[in-house]
Amino acid sequence: MNTREYFLPQSVNEATQLLAKHGPFMLVMAGGTIAMPLINEGISFPQKVMGLRRAGLSYVTKPNGKITIGAMSTLTQMLDLKEIPILQEAAHQVGGWAIRNMGTVGGNLFAPPPAGDFAAALMALDAQLKLVSTAGARIISLTDFYTGFMTTALSPGELVTEIQVPVPTGKMAYLKYGRKHANTPAVVTVAAQIELDGEGVTNSRIALNAVGPHPIRASKAEEILSGSPLNPATINMAASAAAEECEPFSDAIATEWYRRKMVEVYVRRTLTKITDRR
Amino acid sequence: MASKIVTFTLNGRRIEVLVKPLTTVQTLLRDQLGLTSTKAGCKQGGCGSCTVLVNGDPMMSCLLPVEDVQGQDVTTLEGLTPTPGLHIIQEVFYENFAVQCGYCTPGMVMVSKALLDHNPRPTREEIIDALTGNYCRCTGYEPIIQAIEEAARRMNGN
Repeated sequence: MNTREYFLPQSVNEATQLLAKHGPFMLVMAGGTIAMPLINEGISFPQKVMGLRRAGLSYVTKPNGKITIGAMSTLTQMLDLKEIPILQEAAHQVGGWAIRNMGTVGGNLFAPPPAGDFAAALMALDAQLKLVSTAGARIISLTDFYTGFMTTALSPGELVTEIQVPVPTGKMAYLKYGRKHANTPAVVTVAAQIELDGEGVTNSRIALNAVGPHPIRASKAEEILSGSPLNPATINMAASAAAEECEPFSDAIATEWYRRKMVEVYVRRTLTKITDRR
Repeated sequence: MASKIVTFTLNGRRIEVLVKPLTTVQTLLRDQLGLTSTKAGCKQGGCGSCTVLVNGDPMMSCLLPVEDVQGQDVTTLEGLTPTPGLHIIQEVFYENFAVQCGYCTPGMVMVSKALLDHNPRPTREEIIDALTGNYCRCTGYEPIIQAIEEAARRMNGN
């Protein structure tokens, strides 16, 4: 390890100033559950690292119609979010207890697939991100945040400081399929929120993870559901569309072929779970 | 290289250490302080053998920079073990054959301690859930689960 400097800013202000000063050559680390293994293994050897554990970003507040989560809130903290059960489920299915005590909501947004399942759940909930730099702050939707594999819409000097989740109005379900019961990378993860007016779907958000370069929306599946009744026929159509439009990859967990098959199965099961909850 | 002085509580004692940037708690404990109960397994946060308690919550010391525990309360297996003798959790691990090669044991004991502190009467499912991040390649887990059930009974006085 040859890290020459480790910064531990005590506020967001100090963090953005450090980022402005040291620029893109400084690794920004949240809980360290992704960065530290790479550093320990000698795969990554950043000269400068900034840790955010003391930057005052570990909070959950509930202003009107919204839940705001500080980017350094741990996944363990998410287990208390009774208002949004799919966030509780998604958090609980990440790692084991010690990892959930370290891994953060903000850090999970940057976890390359097949990690990053919590971000998929946030995507189904239409989460917005607050990005802060020395120049000011802006809000961007999580769906627009990702631009490619390990690339995002973050400008140089910007930090994700907060995740804002509108209190959900639809019915939700979350299914993660891995090779083990727990503490497992995903073959595929599906998070969905469906708003219904009687039988018909008025609005739907389906997010997938581990089957693309980052958490993705299954927009063709969403289009099929929109305006249709949520019945087995439309669910099957949406599931096939999702399997067709996703971009799975092969790794040690599953092949591209298998992941695609499982997208169909798990989108169907997730949507069926929502109909069962009516 | 900007080494820093970090002050924190280790096993009930306030200590001051000088660490190189990004030194992990695991490296500090094992290589600088000679406290080798905290194991170095995968160094990926994947095996749980390096688990320590930070303010009573389990964390992977291999992923935790020392500077992040400034002012915090860190407990390792050395801090749990009374002199002389064994902690109840260590006793029940011994009696229930929950130790084979022993490499996972310090992590298992620390998680068990945190679990029983948070939840003195855990169900079997809650025990399994707490142990999810700790791998044991010898026992098949059953003796460990039974040991924790036994520890809960003894610590609750029955």
